[in-house]
Amino acid sequence: MSNRYPWLTIDPAGPFNLGPRTFPGRVWTASGCFGYGLLGDDISAPGRADPFAGIGTVVTKTITAAPRTGNPPPRVWATEFGALNSIGLENMGVERFCDEVVPRLVERGIPFVASIAGTRPEEFGTLTRRLVVAAAAAPCWHGVELNLSCPNVARGGVDFGRDPLTVRACVEAARGETGDRVVLAKLTPNVASIAELARAAGEGGAHGLTAVNTLVGMDIDLRTGRPVLPRRRGGYSGGAILPVALAKVDEIVQETGLPVVGVGGVRTADDAAKFFAVGASAVQVGTAQMDDPFAAADVARALAAQ
Amino acid sequence: MTPSFTTASRLLGRVVANEALSSSMIRLDLDLEAPTGFLPGQFCMVNLEGGSRMPLSRPLSILRTEGSRLSLLYKVVGHGTRLLSEAPVGAAVRVLSPLGRSFPERDDDRPRLLLAGGVGLPPLWSWFERYGRKGDLACFGGRDRDDVPWGLIPPGWRVSLDSAEGGAGPAGMFVGNVVALAESLLPDDAPAHHVLACGPVPLLRAAAVMAAQRGWNCEVSVEERMGCGYGVCRGCVVPRPAAAGWWTACQDGPILAAADVDWERFGLPAAEALAAYSDGPSCSAPAPEASA
Repeated sequence: MSNRYPWLTIDPAGPFNLGPRTFPGRVWTASGCFGYGLLGDDISAPGRADPFAGIGTVVTKTITAAPRTGNPPPRVWATEFGALNSIGLENMGVERFCDEVVPRLVERGIPFVASIAGTRPEEFGTLTRRLVVAAAAAPCWHGVELNLSCPNVARGGVDFGRDPLTVRACVEAARGETGDRVVLAKLTPNVASIAELARAAGEGGAHGLTAVNTLVGMDIDLRTGRPVLPRRRGGYSGGAILPVALAKVDEIVQETGLPVVGVGGVRTADDAAKFFAVGASAVQVGTAQMDDPFAAADVARALAAQ
Repeated sequence: MTPSFTTASRLLGRVVANEALSSSMIRLDLDLEAPTGFLPGQFCMVNLEGGSRMPLSRPLSILRTEGSRLSLLYKVVGHGTRLLSEAPVGAAVRVLSPLGRSFPERDDDRPRLLLAGGVGLPPLWSWFERYGRKGDLACFGGRDRDDVPWGLIPPGWRVSLDSAEGGAGPAGMFVGNVVALAESLLPDDAPAHHVLACGPVPLLRAAAVMAAQRGWNCEVSVEERMGCGYGVCRGCVVPRPAAAGWWTACQDGPILAAADVDWERFGLPAAEALAAYSDGPSCSAPAPEASA
C-alpha cells in the first residue's frame, strides 16, 4: 500500500468495483474536459506514453438527444483562482456519438462512461437505450453519468437537478435501460442539502454519485462593468473549489454511505488522496485536464508510485 | 534539414528571459526539456509551475524556436499574463506546443501583404523570416513610437502609428491604422497580393474587407478566449458564415481564410453576444417540456 498515505484503506492505483462493473483505475477525466476522448493521443511528453496512460475512465462530453450548438463566445474565462465556463452543452447529439465516437473509443479500448443530459426524465432512458444498442457488446463502455446539474442551459439545467423527485425519476429512467452498466448521477453543489439529492438518486437505483458539478459563478470586466460571460453567470471550477467539493463528498458519504466519484479541483495525487480520505471511490480530473492533457495521467502515475 | 516538430508536446522548462521590447510587448524566452519547433502562425499554451500556477494555461504566439529554446511575444491583458510578466529568470514553466494551423507556406509567386498589429507580430515575423522575399509588402501597426519593438522590426517593413505624439523612434511615420498604410502603398491596379493578417479584431476585419474589395485571398489569425488549446473544451469558438456553426480557434485555427469567418459576429463583446446570436448558431435548448 501507499507510503505517502499510510492511512489509505484502498489501493489508489488498482482496479475497483463500482455497482456491476470493475473499473481499471480510480483516476478519471471529468465530462467536458477531455472532449469525447478522441483527442490528445498525438500529444507527446518526454518520459510519458500518452495522455490516456493510466486513466481509469474517460467521462465523455455530455451528449443530448439532438445536437446543440451551445452558447456564444466568450465561453471560458480564467480568474485568479479558478475558471469560469459557459459552453452551453454544445454537442453532436446521441446519434452521431453512437455512430462516430463509440466505435472509435471501442477500437482503441478506451474505458468510458457517457455523460448524458435530457430535458425530461424519460429522455435519460431513451438516451441510455440508444447507447446500449451502440455499445452493449463493448467491455470498455462502463455506463452513463447523468448530467443533472449543468448550470449553463437556459432551461432544464440546475433547477432540473435541484429537485429530488426529478433526480430520482431521471435515475429510474436510466436504470430501467442499463442492464449491467453503471448509472452515476452527477450532482450540483448549488443546493442546501446535496445529501438529499444523493439519497433521491440512490432510491432511484443509482450505483453512485458524481460530486460535484461546477459552482455557479461570475466575473466582471472592470473596463466595462459588465459580466465577462454573455449569459452573465457560468460554472466555476478549478483548484479553488476543491475544499467545497471535498465537503460535499464528505456530506454524501457521511449521510448516505453511497459510493461517490469525487470531482472538483483535483490537480495532483495529494488532491486525489484527500477525496479518497473522505470515502470517494474514484476521482475525476476536470479543469486541470484542460490545462494539461497529461494531468489525469500524471495523477494516476503519481498515485501508483506512492 | 531541421525536424519540424509540428505536433504538440507537453514540455517542462525554465524562464531564461522575460524582457519588455516596447511599452506593451514582452519577449519570453524559455529553455525546454527537449527540442521543439513550429510553423509560422502556430501558438502554444503556457503555464507557470508551482505556487504561481494559473487555473488555465494562456495561449501565446510563437516568435521562434531554436533547439530547446522557445521564444514568445505577449502583452499583459489580464491576470494570467500579469503573473507571467512577473516570472523571474529560472521560474519553472510548462508548455503545450506547437498548436493549431499555420499560415500557408509560400506556394506561388504572388507577392504577399503582411499586416501585423501589436502583439500580432510573431506569426508574420516568423513567416517573413522563412518565406519572405523581395516584392512582399510587410506592415506593422503600433499605438505610438514607444509601442513598437523597433529592434525586432525587419529592414524594409513599413510601420504605422495610431498616434505620432511623443516617444522615441524615426520621424515621419504614417499615422493611421496598418490597413490604411497598406492601402496608401498599393494603387488600385496593384498586382494581386495574398494577404496574411494577425492583430486585433478591427485590423482583421479591415484586412478582410480590403482583400474582398480587391478580390485577393486573405488569411487571418483569429483569437477567442481559450480554455484548453487542444480542442477538448470547445471554449474558443469562432462563428462560421451563414450560421453554419463554429470553428475552434485552437484546432481549426488560429489561421482561417477570411471568407470562412462570420465578420458580423466574430469578436463581439460579451454584452452584445446574446442578441447577435438570437437567430444564429442557436444558443437555446430544444424546447424543454415540463419536467416531472
